[in-house]
Amino acid sequence: MASRRRMLLKVIILGDSGVGKTSLMNQYVNKKFSNQYKATIGADFLTKEVQIDDRLFTLQIWDTAGQERFQSLGVAFYRGADCCVLVYDVNVMKSFDHLNNWREEFLIQASPSDPENFPFVVLGNKIDVDGGNGRVVSEKKARAWCASKGNIPYFETSAKEGFNVEAAFECIAKNALKNEPEEEIYMPDTIDVAGGGRQARSAAGCEC
Amino acid sequence: MDSNPDNPVQDQDPASESDEPSPADPNQNRTDTTEPDDPPPADSDINPTQTSESVEHNTVEPESSVPERLKSLTLQEPSSEDIRQKHVSNGSLPADFYASDEIEIVEEEEEEGGLASSSGGGGVVTWTNRSDGPPSPSSSGYAAEGGSSVASSGGVEEETEGNSDWGREKKHFHEDDGSDSWRKRKKHFFILSNSGKPIYSRYGDEHKLAGFSATLQAIISFVQNSGDSIKFVRAGKHLIIFLVKGPIYLVCISCTDEPIEALRGQLELLYGQMLLILTKSVNRCFEKNPKFDMAPLLGGTDAVFSSLIHSFSWNPATFLHAYTCLPLSYPTRQAASAILQDVAESGILFAILMCKHKVVSLVGAQKASLHPDDIFLLANFILSSESFRTSESFSPICLPRYNPMAFLYAYVHFLDLDTYLVLLTTSSDSFYHLKDCRVRVQNVLAKSNVLSEIQRSMLESGLRIEDLPSEPTRPPVERINTESISTQRTVGGSAGLCHFMYKSVYLNQFVSSDFSAPLKNPNQQKRLYRAYQKMYASMHDKGTGTHKTQFRRNQDYVLFCWITQDFELYATFDPLADKAQAIKVCNRVCQWVRDLENEIFLYAESTFSW
Repeated sequence: MASRRRMLLKVIILGDSGVGKTSLMNQYVNKKFSNQYKATIGADFLTKEVQIDDRLFTLQIWDTAGQERFQSLGVAFYRGADCCVLVYDVNVMKSFDHLNNWREEFLIQASPSDPENFPFVVLGNKIDVDGGNGRVVSEKKARAWCASKGNIPYFETSAKEGFNVEAAFECIAKNALKNEPEEEIYMPDTIDVAGGGRQARSAAGCEC
Repeated sequence: MDSNPDNPVQDQDPASESDEPSPADPNQNRTDTTEPDDPPPADSDINPTQTSESVEHNTVEPESSVPERLKSLTLQEPSSEDIRQKHVSNGSLPADFYASDEIEIVEEEEEEGGLASSSGGGGVVTWTNRSDGPPSPSSSGYAAEGGSSVASSGGVEEETEGNSDWGREKKHFHEDDGSDSWRKRKKHFFILSNSGKPIYSRYGDEHKLAGFSATLQAIISFVQNSGDSIKFVRAGKHLIIFLVKGPIYLVCISCTDEPIEALRGQLELLYGQMLLILTKSVNRCFEKNPKFDMAPLLGGTDAVFSSLIHSFSWNPATFLHAYTCLPLSYPTRQAASAILQDVAESGILFAILMCKHKVVSLVGAQKASLHPDDIFLLANFILSSESFRTSESFSPICLPRYNPMAFLYAYVHFLDLDTYLVLLTTSSDSFYHLKDCRVRVQNVLAKSNVLSEIQRSMLESGLRIEDLPSEPTRPPVERINTESISTQRTVGGSAGLCHFMYKSVYLNQFVSSDFSAPLKNPNQQKRLYRAYQKMYASMHDKGTGTHKTQFRRNQDYVLFCWITQDFELYATFDPLADKAQAIKVCNRVCQWVRDLENEIFLYAESTFSW
């Protein structure tokens, strides 16, 4: 069933409110940036087609609201994600400190089959602010944390200037893909009439 | 009009009548309804005096209309006095003229997008080459569907069933939720996973709709998180219906004014069609891998779903949950059944001979019976997949009503353009055996002229209302003597009869008359079909139980529905039809159907042991 159809990858963007999740997404999908802050309500959904190694993919990007009052939506939103993007503001220490919470909360709620190797990508956003003078989280510190969590890929970005955004999302797509399980053969049971009517016998081979 | 004082005729608040809290329902100007407690008629004859109870409630909140309806049932001593008073007090018209008050001028406007006349999409969408227009206008289920084509002129939207081509170019792939044309479609269907990944969309490219799909999932899951489940949302003219089937979510967004129950039934069939292709084992894929992207599994089946959705607006089987037979002489059908039975004894679960959507004969293994929905979904799958026509095929399929968990194997072969044999087995290596069986069946059918009889029946018209016998062929015993029925109508048959559908409850089969003069236009037929569907929903109201009779009049027609233990009859008359006369005609229709039952129904699905 190695189909010609495009694959769809679900990408969740998490992080404190105001770190620039929506702006990153807007820059990536629409190549637009607005200085005006508009809080996301619940979640926004955008799609973007990407090409990786001659294959087309559709990224289904879930831009979630950072405010705590939306955290109850977690289970519903996180289910079936292919990749999780953690965003912080390099100018706000707290937003970096909270990355750990976001990551753990995601793993609890999404309960992926292999949490150790679930693909995350970390983005340190707003590196353009004040020409980098207001920066409180050093790249070194951020990279150290990423390394400690199983070598999470790290990018420093500016949604405003579009810096590194494309590269970050390309990495996101590739990572989402890396974690894709082997395509299995879809093989449901066959009805076994002899064995007492309408029970199904277990498929001998692979159960998908 | 007022010739029958025993028949109360009351105006009803249209909004309170149905399970659909629509503020203004043009179809429901007037209904008489008898409640289920009413003792069933001794025989299947009905006479005008039996509609003796009436429902009256004019101020019911739409949301609570179903339960309220029960509470507010008032049994009245029906008399024409009541009605007159009511009308007088309304100050609408002089009592003498109240009858004319019944006919309210209503604008029935629906016509779902793709199928609608040009009004649907305005100038935005071009309708030429619509790939999923209604197939044959003879949606009678008992008609000459063969070469008949009254497809609407001007290349608008209708297409004949014969060379149906929907699916391959359907869908309008360029569209997404940002397109005007997409937003103007009157009826959308979506299938998505519980992680919000799109699986199927009727219009537009699934991947472009990934964001929309995610939104739907967010809404459903949000309600689910609170331990509840969302059933429907009404937003202006639009109704959004949700159906959750484990990890699969199905959604319909419609502004076609169809009842909620009907739309939910359509979602169930959509799910059934998906199961027919994949079985419920897909659930295991989601258990193992919540990220599972199911859409590729359904690759190449767009045409199946398009054709299915299309049949929601022309095939009564989709809401009657019954199948229809190709009319054949009794010996001819017997001959077909005999050979099916013969081959079936060699380890075949079901052997089905069909002509388009109509059953010629079917035979099932001992204790195994085929649900009409399975027959319908199987036929739709076969008829909409072009590859079945070009060669003999062997394909895994699942009959969701028989066993949703597992596959059967279907051997399919078209014996001629429309007639096909389906042999269902549990053994995946019996292709050659089934092929041999098919050759035997084909030989016998050819020799015994069954095939030519089938073709002849396809070309002939079916039940024509003009042929309704004017006198009962066998006078029923307890029939009330009535004066002869006037047949001087210019259109339609007796007493203005235009069309009818008759479902035999025990046989799970239905038959319907050909569409005749006033109903030649496919859009009118679809409208009538929708009216039947609405009637069906209100007759089988879950809140109040099944009703027995209903008489409904609007500007286009009079609908009469009559349900007994044995049958359901839906009949259409011209809008001026007299009620008492209409009821008498319905008695004759029932008698007529009974007289013809050996030809129009399949009796005694044979069983055999093996």
